Amino acid sequence: MNEEMIRKNSIKLKRKKRFKQNIPLLLIFFPVIIFYLTFKYAPIMGNIIAFKEYNFFDGIFGSPWVGFHNFELLFTQTQTLNIIRNTLMLSVLQLVFGFPAPIILAILLNEVRKMFFKRTIQTIVYLPHFFNWVIIGGIVLTLFSMESGFINHWIERWTGEPYPFLYKPLSWIGVFISSGIWKEMGFGTIIYLAVIGMINPSLYESASIDGANKFRQIWHITLPQMRPTIIILFILATGNVMEVGFDQVYMLQNPVVSNVAEVISTYIYRVGLLGAQFSLSAAMGLFEALVGLVLVLSANWIARKFDQGLF
Amino acid sequence: MKPTLGDKIFYVINYIALSIISLTCLFPIVHMAALSLSDSHSIMSGHVSIWPKGWTIEAYITLFQGTQILGAFKNSVIITVVGVGLSMLFTIMAAYPLSRKYFYARKTFTLLMVFTMLFGAGMIPSYLVVKSLGLVDTYFAIWFPGLISTYNMLVMKSFFENLPEELEEAARIDGCGEIRLLINIILPLSVPMIATLSLFYGVGYWNMFMNVLIYINETDKYNLSVLVQQMVQSQSVMQELNEVMSEDIQNITPESVKAAGVMVMVIPMLLVYPFLQKYFVKGVLIGSIKG
Repeated sequence: MNEEMIRKNSIKLKRKKRFKQNIPLLLIFFPVIIFYLTFKYAPIMGNIIAFKEYNFFDGIFGSPWVGFHNFELLFTQTQTLNIIRNTLMLSVLQLVFGFPAPIILAILLNEVRKMFFKRTIQTIVYLPHFFNWVIIGGIVLTLFSMESGFINHWIERWTGEPYPFLYKPLSWIGVFISSGIWKEMGFGTIIYLAVIGMINPSLYESASIDGANKFRQIWHITLPQMRPTIIILFILATGNVMEVGFDQVYMLQNPVVSNVAEVISTYIYRVGLLGAQFSLSAAMGLFEALVGLVLVLSANWIARKFDQGLF
Repeated sequence: MKPTLGDKIFYVINYIALSIISLTCLFPIVHMAALSLSDSHSIMSGHVSIWPKGWTIEAYITLFQGTQILGAFKNSVIITVVGVGLSMLFTIMAAYPLSRKYFYARKTFTLLMVFTMLFGAGMIPSYLVVKSLGLVDTYFAIWFPGLISTYNMLVMKSFFENLPEELEEAARIDGCGEIRLLINIILPLSVPMIATLSLFYGVGYWNMFMNVLIYINETDKYNLSVLVQQMVQSQSVMQELNEVMSEDIQNITPESVKAAGVMVMVIPMLLVYPFLQKYFVKGVLIGSIKG
């Protein structure tokens, strides 16, 4: 009886203590809740304008409902279908060519024995990551310019006439993809190098005693040891497949190649924001976000089958 | 073990490949620097590669006299400094409560925040929210929507969680309250982490482009990114420049002025880069261990 009371009392005390500790925490946390509600969740709710005929006068809630009309418009216009195709095409190409690049570079860097050389190379290849797309776009436009670009001067010397790299669909895609690799390849090696650094050196020793050359060591030791990291990073990358960075496309695109260069984000900016077609472009944005969500979740689901899931 | 012949060949090829890769990273930047310092004749005839020909700093003079680049530079600094301060404050305010085990509903809150990493709201609804709050054409439209990077917040949170519990217990026995515990014990221990995340936010704000493009219409409030982008891409800015250019500095091309504009963005980054790089490598690794 007495013991029971003591136990109850101590639970009460603990609850009281916990409540007392929580008051200041909740006070600190309150502005954070406001932030997430206002700038993350309110816009998510704001997506309902995709199902409305939005106008400034009636506002988000007052505008009339139109059901799936905006989506029907999107999926029946060849222009918008084209834009969705471009988005997928560019990001899949980015994934296919951009994803292996840092893995290969990290393996090459790891095989360097002279520390000074290795550090110098690392310092240089990390650098482009810190430039934004305005800088890189400026560089690309200058290098490939028809009249005064460095590259076209050389081509002109060899073939007699300059090549319009930024005005032909295929070469534009090439420039787009390679500029992305150029920017992020070096920085992407950081995680891979750390993983390679954790591999037990005795594995390499015994392999080389067994007569394995460098290529076989890389193939049978380095790569398998990197696999879990590669899978996790691949999941993260697949989740972003619907997002081709706005900045990159916006800096590099021009009207001549818009047939392959217009993507969802630039379409939303141009038609939605500049053209004030809020509902139609919000529908496009919602479609993009939903497909993105499905992609992350399914990639993660697949990875879980290999015990590599993120969540 | 002695390296075999095959290994030796591999090493030689590896060194050559890495040298080429790093030269490709350096060349475009050196080339831009050379262009910005060359005269029009050398540029148009294609003689400029990595060393300026016909040395002149007139491109920079034109840039600083004929454009609002100084103002834009100042705006970039303001956006970055205030932005980093606000973001760090809110990141800590989010991460600290969530790192306390006795905090109510910490799991639910964390989950709701992580969800926003997977499902973004989209440009148009975000714009309508910012507009309805009357933030368009103020820098609050730049600072507020991205105030907390959920990713950085999670890194900070796991850092707080891993601090030794004994310290906290000792402070509590001495009668330390929740706020004083945070300010006097936890934050001083977190200085390296705070510095790292501040750099993450800082580079983000310094390089900010899209939000300024969307939310800021008044040209004198542009930051460097948007001003340089308009210089590089639109002809009208360059035509204005041509009118400003006096007769005696006709020997530079728009190309070199554009290159000079790009260099104005590149140089500050290069100056802080040796310092940045170390922290970023550390920060990326902290984040990945958590993930």
